Amino acid sequence: MILYALILVPIIAGALIYLIKNRGVLWFAFFLQAALLGLSVYNFVIVQLHGPYDIVLGNFSAIAGITLRCDTFSAALALLTVFIYFVCFLFGILEKFMNNLFIFFFLTLQALIIAIFLSRDLFNVYVLTEVSTIIVSVLIMYKKDSSSLYDGMIYLITNIAAMTFFLFGIGFIYRLFGTLNMDLITSKMYKVQDVKALALPFAFLITGVGLKCAFLPLFSWLPKAHATTSAPSIVSVILSALYVKSGIFHFIKLREMFMPAINLDEIFLIIGVATGIVGFILAMSQKDIKLILAYHTISQLGLVLVGVASGSQFSYFGGILHLFNHAIFKSLLFLAAGIITDKYGERNIHKIRGVFKKMPYVSIMMIAAMLGITGAPLFNGSVSKFMIESGVHGRVLEYEVILINLGTIISFIKLSYIFGGGKGESRIYVDMWKKASVTIMGIMCLAMGFAGPLFISSIFNYRIDFSITEYLKNMIIFFVSLGGGWLLYHKYLSKTKFIKNGFALELGINGIAMSMTAFFAFLVAAVYLFA
Amino acid sequence: MRKISFINAQNTAIIIFFIGVYGLCARRNIIKTIISLGIMGGGVILFFLSVNRTAQSMPPIFTEEVAVAADPLPQALVITAIVVGISVTAVALVMFIAMYHKFGTTNWLKAMKHRKDIGI
Repeated sequence: MILYALILVPIIAGALIYLIKNRGVLWFAFFLQAALLGLSVYNFVIVQLHGPYDIVLGNFSAIAGITLRCDTFSAALALLTVFIYFVCFLFGILEKFMNNLFIFFFLTLQALIIAIFLSRDLFNVYVLTEVSTIIVSVLIMYKKDSSSLYDGMIYLITNIAAMTFFLFGIGFIYRLFGTLNMDLITSKMYKVQDVKALALPFAFLITGVGLKCAFLPLFSWLPKAHATTSAPSIVSVILSALYVKSGIFHFIKLREMFMPAINLDEIFLIIGVATGIVGFILAMSQKDIKLILAYHTISQLGLVLVGVASGSQFSYFGGILHLFNHAIFKSLLFLAAGIITDKYGERNIHKIRGVFKKMPYVSIMMIAAMLGITGAPLFNGSVSKFMIESGVHGRVLEYEVILINLGTIISFIKLSYIFGGGKGESRIYVDMWKKASVTIMGIMCLAMGFAGPLFISSIFNYRIDFSITEYLKNMIIFFVSLGGGWLLYHKYLSKTKFIKNGFALELGINGIAMSMTAFFAFLVAAVYLFA
Repeated sequence: MRKISFINAQNTAIIIFFIGVYGLCARRNIIKTIISLGIMGGGVILFFLSVNRTAQSMPPIFTEEVAVAADPLPQALVITAIVVGISVTAVALVMFIAMYHKFGTTNWLKAMKHRKDIGI
């Protein structure tokens, strides 16, 4: 019942709010989020105590019916979804853009994201993702200005093409296994004699999901969509902090599903490292505050992929913890960036100055998020990055992870210049709801730094041996890279043309389709050669 | 005979799908891109219909012989896929109309150039 409530209540409430057309319903939506938050915490506790449970819609057998499965990982992700939505409603409660139409789309998207996290039926995942793609593209072009129409169109076409790849993969899977339930498929996977028969379904499914997760050749749609000018900043929060997680969640599940037959972790590692590096290089060269954050989403997703595919269990859990941590600090960064761009009417970071003088409180919270994303000691990012790093200790991979972190540090040094300057300027009023929402997120950034290992060990029932000396060593690495990054930026990088003028790697629809086909062909070849 | 057996619904579906992909890669007209998505969808639908189907199989309705019944699940899936495909095409076309009013072109390259001129 709880799962039905989590999925259906937002949709029904959204439809009602659309019909009522009264400003007061915003408060109703807000209290609804509070209630859902309570419900999802309750659900999480229940799953913790009594173990995972399944619901098959319509009481069919698991082979034919649509299964919703709630294990601790899914319950935690559902909790994260509701929590971030709650903070978003808190943030926007006084805003004009929160009219009944917007709330309808926004709440429907929430229900779809929760359903994607809970669903274990491949076809159901396809339908939910397709519907959410449409809603997201409507939200991207919400105000219908010219730039966002193009971005929304690119988003829609590329994502639909990816989901058609996914659907074709589902067809192959059904032909081979006779079921669409991912758990049942996993249990049948080890019986597959001829691995080459799996090459096509594997490549189709991973190409579809890979575009959703913005892996290396397929990320071109993401920055513009996530940093859209047309939508309010809470849409960027949902897209960047939550919606990409639905892609990476199903990537993790599909990887586990194919694991008994196909193990391409080495290739995923290369893709992950390359995604991380390209993400921060492009982020460094941007001038637009939201584009920097959007490119960083790509880079951090690469890091999650490295953690998941590294083969060490410690890194795997680090990667998953990083997924949660990324949701928290990225939503805080986007919320703060939203306040700044609203008050300044400007998105170019070379023109925004004196934020600390004008909005000291918001600035402190934003700095907390920056410390989180760069992996500063005691903040949440440091724990997950530490876990990823120590799992791959002694391999080349460790240095690559440190390199990705160095790049993150450099681009946030570049961004941090917005705080300085602005002598003698007076403060700007920021309403208490916005302050409250950034405060909650800021506290979470610090709290997850302490509670992160506990959180992940409670989700996966895995005892984490946290060695303090290793963590201290990691602190030293952080401060060395902070100093090194600062020197590198000041002495060298800030003078280069690349940083000054900006650099955009943007593919049109043909380019994206081409890279998708190339990625697909590459995966097929990889299965034939290596698996 | 071997050559003829190569021409079955499954291989045809794969070929149709990649014709659609070719359209996405090579055409610069926005409408043709949307049509290409439709072609890809068509290939997938054909594939689903051919899953677990032999020439002898019957629809599993009002028959006693269950053994040769066609698998009903892919057909149920295909209905959903068709509905989703139609709605997606409709949304894409509506968005294209809105975009055409602003950009005045059906060409991706011109639209992209226009988008670059606007900046962020």
